[in-house]
Amino acid sequence: MIAPAIVARDVAKVYRRFLHRNQFKTLKSALLTGSLLSDLRPDETFTALDGVSFEVPRGTTFGVIGENGSGKSTLLKLVAGITKPTRGSLAVDGRVSALIELGAGFHPEISGRENVSINGIMLGLTRREVERRFDEIVDFAELRDFIDAPVKTYSSGMYMRLGFAVAIHVDPEVLLIDEVLAVGDEAFTRKCLDKIAEFRRRGKTILFVTPTSPTWRGGRMRSSGPSRPRRSTSPRHRRSPPPRRRPAGWHPPPATGPAAGGAARSRSAACASWTRGDASATCSFPGRP
Amino acid sequence: MIAAVRALVRYRALVRSLVSRELKARYRGSVLGFFWSFVNPLLLLLTYTLVFTVILPGRQSPAIEPYFLFFFCGILPWTWFSASLAESSGVLITSGNLIKKVLFPAEVLPAVTVFANLAHFLLGLPILLAFLAAEGKLGWTALLLPLPLVVQLVLCLGFALFLSALTVHFRDVQSILGHVLHLWFFATPVLYHYGDIQGTLRQALRLNPMTHVLVSYQQILFHGHFGHWRGLGLALLVGLFVFAVGAFLFDRLRDTFPEEV
Repeated sequence: MIAPAIVARDVAKVYRRFLHRNQFKTLKSALLTGSLLSDLRPDETFTALDGVSFEVPRGTTFGVIGENGSGKSTLLKLVAGITKPTRGSLAVDGRVSALIELGAGFHPEISGRENVSINGIMLGLTRREVERRFDEIVDFAELRDFIDAPVKTYSSGMYMRLGFAVAIHVDPEVLLIDEVLAVGDEAFTRKCLDKIAEFRRRGKTILFVTPTSPTWRGGRMRSSGPSRPRRSTSPRHRRSPPPRRRPAGWHPPPATGPAAGGAARSRSAACASWTRGDASATCSFPGRP
Repeated sequence: MIAAVRALVRYRALVRSLVSRELKARYRGSVLGFFWSFVNPLLLLLTYTLVFTVILPGRQSPAIEPYFLFFFCGILPWTWFSASLAESSGVLITSGNLIKKVLFPAEVLPAVTVFANLAHFLLGLPILLAFLAAEGKLGWTALLLPLPLVVQLVLCLGFALFLSALTVHFRDVQSILGHVLHLWFFATPVLYHYGDIQGTLRQALRLNPMTHVLVSYQQILFHGHFGHWRGLGLALLVGLFVFAVGAFLFDRLRDTFPEEV
């Protein structure tokens, strides 16, 4: 068996609900009303992910389907290394490129050309690598005529196209995609999908999250957890274990749900895998809005 | 601290391209463009010279005549220092989208503000040297210029790391810092001659690392001799300490940046 590209073991991410500024506000009012201790209790936290375990084998495409607020983007940020898990461990093998927000590092005042080279370096290329891929990037973005204009003059479609073109040419071993396939017109979308298909042919690992079903079909969706919305008043609401064909290394989520209070609407995300013809991993994890 | 230095060396290509982006973007759209780097210190010089030769004349000791030139030797490095601190305090917040959306070595950002302001300093330097040469003040001691420059760089980087990390959690820092820098400016011998200050006030000024850096610049460029070794060495030690503390704080708070900015 090939070594997995992404291994998540019982990953949890807990955000503090209040910023410091607000804490000071509550501190002052807490002192005035005498509720200091109760206000500082740890239920001021927000569990975005809890007990998430999965493995993505090298060269497979792994999709995560879930509603808004189910923790998909948090998961991508964790895998990308932008934030650290509160509990559990997460290991990623190989260069990661995250299509989380396109063109996040662009500076509006300088030209597309300069932004391409800076963004490329930011995403982990060397200056020489950027130069070598420059023409390819510009051609992919279809911005040959505007590459010397400042990025602030670009339309949002042009901006996204350039951002996508740079991110995809970083040549990562692991590609993370977050609902960004709707860039530009249909022809460009198809081009993006072709590029992603090429990635898959070359045996790269892809982790992608989407609120709906995937927009491309390469492999078959072999198995998945259900992803319809569920209402529950129980904080221990859990998704039933996913169907058959668990691969080695698959870990069922722990029995405890997110430590939640109140009648929160519990949403769940399910993940499923699309591989070249064969399912290899599947799991589900609970999340809270 | 060593890890912070290593990170900056490792990402030097990124720092370099971000600094050049910063310089290009700053004057984009202005008529004078890059000339502003020259014009800015000249206008500043003009204002202060007007104040201290026309409005408040005759208060300077003869040791620092011509006064405008003495002042120029101090204000140029001071501007680098104060602008670095002021800009770095907000840099993690203004670049929040980078920290939140891209896997990005955050220490690059405060370093970029320091180096971008260093570039402005270096662009203003030829004007200063030209003035010095015109007044016949330029001596071989000008070759020692890299010494206070390096000490100041260490100080700036240390403070930039410290302030940028702290501002993420306490936005108040940005508001306070403006006033602190104002006071700090007067507590540093830029407008006056350090040699003229005696007594307790002198002892107080000695505690300020920037005093020693500025005195070194003035001796090297204006007075044509350099004897402030101990002071500059002390400032370097303070700088290394500030850098170590700044790097430590930055590293401790690093994981909280994506959530707090």
